[in-house]
Amino acid sequence: MRQARPYSAMFAGGVSARTGPHALPLARIKKIMKRSAGDSSGSVIVDGGGGARMISGEAPVVFSKACELFIAELTRRAWAATLDGKRRTMHKEDVAAAVQNTDLFDFLVDVVMADLGHDDDHMD
Amino acid sequence: MEAGYHPCAANGAAADGNGGAQQAAAAAAAAAPAIREQDRLMPIANVIRIMRRVLPAHAKISDDAKETIQECVSEYISFITGEANERCQREQRKTITAEDVLWAMSRLGFDDYVEPLSIYLHRYREFEGESRGVGVGVSAARGDHHHHHHHGHVGGMLKSRAQGSMVTHHDMQMHAAMYGGVVPPPPHPPPHHHAFQLMPPPHGQYAPYDMYGGDHGMAAYYGGMYAPGSGGNGDGSGSSGSGGAGTPQTVNFEHQHPFGYK
Repeated sequence: MRQARPYSAMFAGGVSARTGPHALPLARIKKIMKRSAGDSSGSVIVDGGGGARMISGEAPVVFSKACELFIAELTRRAWAATLDGKRRTMHKEDVAAAVQNTDLFDFLVDVVMADLGHDDDHMD
Repeated sequence: MEAGYHPCAANGAAADGNGGAQQAAAAAAAAAPAIREQDRLMPIANVIRIMRRVLPAHAKISDDAKETIQECVSEYISFITGEANERCQREQRKTITAEDVLWAMSRLGFDDYVEPLSIYLHRYREFEGESRGVGVGVSAARGDHHHHHHHGHVGGMLKSRAQGSMVTHHDMQMHAAMYGGVVPPPPHPPPHHHAFQLMPPPHGQYAPYDMYGGDHGMAAYYGGMYAPGSGGNGDGSGSSGSGGAGTPQTVNFEHQHPFGYK
């Protein structure tokens, strides 16, 4: 039986120079955070306004693990949808089903629907 | 056109077709039109590696599923960060901290993640403190039961059991908590299940090891020690504490079924 190896990156010699012990690159996470926090690259910080924020160095660290948990959860649920369909290959429809069946993932609905590649027209 | 939708659509083609469906990507693109594709998404190889860990060996994953999950990860980061950002804004702070991120997660329904992440962060701080030689005060303040484990977690893992049990057990507790945190509440709550709020302030006051302590951490620890071939069961949280009594071979591995819930 396959088992999760949450620290394989750290313990199994998988510590790469690029990501360190983290499963996902911190710099990339930080970039995505910056964008989401209203940073339009180089804009001036406005106190109390909605302007760019600085990101604590620890925040991407938290995200690196959070994204692991998130990917794992989404994958499991998508795989459940795959099995429901009596298939062995996970498709994006399965990811979409997982999202639609999970309240927690409501925020992903647009993403998975946008990705859903049916040729029929999308309803508004 | 949707069929051809790819992350790169966010660079300009997103406006085309199917209504609001592409909002997310389009919004991301609008925020910073010049974002390069590779900066917008986590590396696909890393994503796939994490996916594979929770799937049976025979499972196949189509490329579109991989890409979709890759997209979802970025959306997840944005979603959480947005909430954290609003909090900072309200409180007129300029820096989004790890604590803001955890707070946002619990607000947005990811409260199961908060505890494992807090532990992860705590351990990261210790590790960093140690490797930078600035963690002296911190580790001294945190009690004696794990103060010398820092030098190399890998080394700690391989130490003899007699020493290793106390030296590394909280690594494995994290281990357990980490994956225990993902699943919905197990049939019987794990021993450490308590109302864990947000993570504690950066220094000193963090002393929750007792709360996590004991049996299941040990079980997980021994499990990791004695079943290296099976890769350190990530789901020690629900298993009994039999390992804590020094009978590692009887540890009841209760792994979480990769798709055992919906």
